[in-house]
Amino acid sequence: MDREAEFRRLYEAHRGAVHAYFTGRTGDPQSAADLMQDVFLRVWQHLDKLADTPEDGQRAWVFTVARNLSVDAHRHQQTQAGAWQALTREPASAPQSASTAVIAAERVAVVGEAIRRLPEPQRVALTMAAAGGMTSAELAAALGVPAGTVRYRLSLARRAVAEALDRYDDPAEK
Amino acid sequence: MSLDDDIAAWAATVRLPDAEAAAIFQRIVGTPAPVPAVTPRLDPSWWRHFTADFTARMVSSTRPVRQAA
Repeated sequence: MDREAEFRRLYEAHRGAVHAYFTGRTGDPQSAADLMQDVFLRVWQHLDKLADTPEDGQRAWVFTVARNLSVDAHRHQQTQAGAWQALTREPASAPQSASTAVIAAERVAVVGEAIRRLPEPQRVALTMAAAGGMTSAELAAALGVPAGTVRYRLSLARRAVAEALDRYDDPAEK
Repeated sequence: MSLDDDIAAWAATVRLPDAEAAAIFQRIVGTPAPVPAVTPRLDPSWWRHFTADFTARMVSSTRPVRQAA
């Protein structure tokens, strides 16, 4: 077995989702990158066993490790609020004559702030779907919850983000 | 701009850049692969030899002593 090629296949298949998972949990893409590295280091160390595992089993193994590591990641919770705020500064007032780029940046900030305020299960699901490009079925398998639950969490999360954008677009309706 | 577009724009700001992902990959594959632990094993034929030896001893030890003439 070519270890590096096999590892690359697993890494490329799951890195986006794992990073998105930790971003949703910690709120900090840099901490998420560190945790993702820890997960894939374990993948590298257990590659011989994983290579013989079916693809679904590999994903389940990767996310079991990720979930276990995220327990430790809660130690970083003190930095969580700051990290999210760095990512998602409070939006300014509604755009008047701002350039398109500024408006786009502000909308990103509104979305980020709305996601930051979500309950963690919704935040994780939406982050994994949006940044990790995962389907509801893949999310369900990774998170160990029914697909219907994932869809419900995504629906609530999207609604909250939409409401935040509505308030930004029309502050008079606050 | 649709809600999906807004969420996608935000997602792009938190997604791991490819360059950083590649650097992490290189760091991991740069670590030595674990050497499989060598576990001492018995010869696969040990049980056959053991039972053959045991049977032979049982047969010889339970054989009636030949009466002296």
